Amino acid sequence: MSSPPLPAVQVSGLRKSFRVAGATIEAVSGIDLTVAAGEIFGLLGPNGAGKTTTLRILTTLLPADAGSALIAGADVFRTPLLVRRRIGYVGQLGGADKEATGRENLLLAGRLYGLSAADARRRCAELTAVFDLEALADRAVRTYSGGQRRRLEVALGIMHRPQVLFLDEPTTGLDPQNRANLWEQLRLLREAGTTIFLTTHYLDEADQLCDRVAIVDHGQVIALGRPEVLKQRYSADTIAVAAEASPAVLEAVARELAGDPAIASLVVEHGTIRVTATDATRAMAAVFCALASKGVPTRAASVARPTLDDVFLRETGRSLRDTGTPPVAAEAAA
Amino acid sequence: MSEPKRAEASGGPSMSGFAVQTGLFFRRKLLETLRQPVWIITGLTTPVLYLALFAPLLRSLAGGPAFPPGQVLDVFVPGIMVLIAFGAGMGAGWPVIWELDSGVIERLRVTPASRLALLLGTVLRDIVMFAVPGAVVIAVGAAFGYHVHWSGLVLLFVLLALLTAACSATSSALGLNLKQIGSLAAVVTGVQLPLTLLAGILLPLSLGPTWLRVLGHFNPMYYAVQAARSLAAGTVATGTVGLGFLVMAAITLLAVWWGTRAYQRAMA
Repeated sequence: MSSPPLPAVQVSGLRKSFRVAGATIEAVSGIDLTVAAGEIFGLLGPNGAGKTTTLRILTTLLPADAGSALIAGADVFRTPLLVRRRIGYVGQLGGADKEATGRENLLLAGRLYGLSAADARRRCAELTAVFDLEALADRAVRTYSGGQRRRLEVALGIMHRPQVLFLDEPTTGLDPQNRANLWEQLRLLREAGTTIFLTTHYLDEADQLCDRVAIVDHGQVIALGRPEVLKQRYSADTIAVAAEASPAVLEAVARELAGDPAIASLVVEHGTIRVTATDATRAMAAVFCALASKGVPTRAASVARPTLDDVFLRETGRSLRDTGTPPVAAEAAA
Repeated sequence: MSEPKRAEASGGPSMSGFAVQTGLFFRRKLLETLRQPVWIITGLTTPVLYLALFAPLLRSLAGGPAFPPGQVLDVFVPGIMVLIAFGAGMGAGWPVIWELDSGVIERLRVTPASRLALLLGTVLRDIVMFAVPGAVVIAVGAAFGYHVHWSGLVLLFVLLALLTAACSATSSALGLNLKQIGSLAAVVTGVQLPLTLLAGILLPLSLGPTWLRVLGHFNPMYYAVQAARSLAAGTVATGTVGLGFLVMAAITLLAVWWGTRAYQRAMA
């Protein structure tokens, strides 16, 4: 029997404020979003943007002030226990019991979700194999490396095969290899039908891992969509071609290129033609053709793709890379 | 529609689920203690040291106002038992703070596990941590001349298991609310001295002036100590014992309610 295709996460008008030292701080100010089943969805934003608070509300850890939230159709505020059965959670702090062994951690998690002892053992064997933890399973978690612990923590989050897996900054503190490894595991999980909802402040994580992204700032969604669509909507590829020719010749080339549908705008400076392109490949070909027709040799060419940071920059006037509030503190306090 | 289905619809846990969860958390906490042999050793030696080092001091008081001749240990052993119960329970808050800091509690709060079960796992472990050293004290005390009254002894353990539970739940609640090891240590050591002195644990309050005895009546532990002395002496069916059980049951319920609420709201 197949269930009706309910959205995995449905949030509307979500609000939450905190009293900090006598002042009211609105951490989440009216967030709306819908995540389809089987997506990898990312909340991208600087520290203190309200990502962790949103995640904590959706995982039943925090009550909200206003709004509604449904997880696979279950109301987060009215039926939290039902929601808890459907979700897995991997927090920023991890949450593995460090004095216990990996296996003890996994078995306890499985049993708490109602698996029988035999089912929990089977599932534990399955996950220790998938996450390459078999050799470590009977060692205390305190002896694990950072990457090993993160793998265990993700395994803990999916012991009960949740419909939706929430991860809060899952790759913070991981080296590039462990990071790539975790991305691969999350993609495999999605292929197996799990919806993945994560927060991140890494541009490349949102861009490469997530099917859709909501960019958040000051508790609001400022842009939402597929990363490539967002980037194209707010910004475009830029091409730079350096050529060995006099400014007059380059101006002539520029005139020839004006009106090409692949080119949005074009400037010539210091012997370099700079093009903002609506279609980078065609624009590049057009520039090369025009130069070749005048017999001008090219010295160097480059294409810069837009990033999600350009989107953030256009919406907020700030760069995501520069919004350096002290990590964790701002949101952990919330 | 049958009962279990309705429970499923509202997301409520079943009774058997609750018992299983409590058992799982109890096992987890017991393993936590067994992994720290230091605690087991001091847990067993401290009460025996009290017997060996403090009881001889009391012998010179024998025959005085509070100590009928030859019954020093009969007065003192129940006092040590109360002290063990208090200590076993009050230690619960420290690991709670470590678990808040490492995200363990946050992770467990996202599971459907009952918060009461989470609290009771620790409470049950602490009752074991009272009962085992308690039995050692009774055995050693008996070897030194304490008169064992079997009927009272069983009830004594039940009474003090309630005290341990109340202290354990209170300590967990304090840990979850204070969140800082330093604050918890200040509160626990701050209340320990007045509570134990005003309960007449080491020396009976009947030795003191009227104001001290009146003040003692506001301390729930005073009733536990009075009832414990009565039970240890083998006098079971007295008002003192009844009052002791009543007060212990009330503060245990209150503390368990507080601790469960603290787990429901706990945030690192």
